[in-house]
Amino acid sequence: MRRFLWIPLSFAALLVPAVVLAGSGGSFNGVVDSIESRYHLRATHIPFLGLACFIARKSTHESVANLHIAEFENVNAEIDGAELSLMVAEKLGPGWERIVRETSRRGGDQTLIYMRPEGARMGLFVVSKEHNELNVVQVSVDPDRLDDDISQYRHHPENPGTSE
Amino acid sequence: MTATLKPRIATLLLLGSLFALPALAQSPSPLSIPASVEKELSTRASDVTEVTLGKNMLAFAAKFMHDKDEDEDGVRHLIENLDGIYVREYEFDKENQYSPEEVEQLRKSFETPEWTPIIRERSRKSGETTDVLMKTVNGESRGMFILSAEPRELTIVLILGPIHPDELGKLHGLAGLDGLADLDTGSRKGAEDKEKDKIKPKAKPDGAQ
Repeated sequence: MRRFLWIPLSFAALLVPAVVLAGSGGSFNGVVDSIESRYHLRATHIPFLGLACFIARKSTHESVANLHIAEFENVNAEIDGAELSLMVAEKLGPGWERIVRETSRRGGDQTLIYMRPEGARMGLFVVSKEHNELNVVQVSVDPDRLDDDISQYRHHPENPGTSE
Repeated sequence: MTATLKPRIATLLLLGSLFALPALAQSPSPLSIPASVEKELSTRASDVTEVTLGKNMLAFAAKFMHDKDEDEDGVRHLIENLDGIYVREYEFDKENQYSPEEVEQLRKSFETPEWTPIIRERSRKSGETTDVLMKTVNGESRGMFILSAEPRELTIVLILGPIHPDELGKLHGLAGLDGLADLDTGSRKGAEDKEKDKIKPKAKPDGAQ
């Protein structure tokens, strides 16, 4: 009987990353679906977004990964900041912490920024409404790697005109 | 048997959902602003900014600061020991959109024995007021509360954990705390048009909280 134990173990080993990956995309889709149904909106199709995400991932040496973007145009519905915040928090679930919430009555602008530790990486989830446009962005960032990439272009005052 | 089980299952489900609800809700902020005042200010303000950085997030942010950079290293040491940074900023289109009574209510919510006023600044000319209170436990600073009221802006900052007024400038640029650098330096220099009333921290008996 023991020799068949590897079957459920292998299945479990394959299932865990699949569930984790589905979970990260699930929260994004959950927020987008909720916005669509609550405010009767439809996310605009962004051509070649998958390719852009792949290029972003490769060109940043994976310091920027798991990029999801949804863009809503012609958002004319009045959005209640408290309701939006609650809806996003419910869909994201535990693990995500809201670090910034900005509400402007002028034009009904809203910004919500959530953060989640993802091992050595940092998950960021941004919902931003400006004028008639609403954007939802999820990204996973490796700050160390990103800083290394950026530092190549940092200016050194003692050696003007040189970079690291 | 099934008839008796059904109500039990229903009760269990109801109890389960009741316990799950608080878990879904956001953890309460230690920034204890009276709910009525917060609601009123949010309604009247043209722009509201809330920043909430709990201990976990601060510890996580600290991991990404460099030891090599002297400035960053200083900030890293400071924030990894903090328990939280909470900011509320209300901007108004016009003056007099909040009353002195509301500011007083905000101030009073921190008038507890563990909080000691260290700076009290009033400007007759501009109508600006600044209050800085420090939380001391066993003679050590364990937090800071800053309430800055300008005619069109009201800012509330709560920093929990070991912090000293001299270190406020280090947090400049972090979590919407840009004004802290000014407060750090501004609190020391005298302004001619201001009537200042600075209160030195009162000596507290050991063990006082």
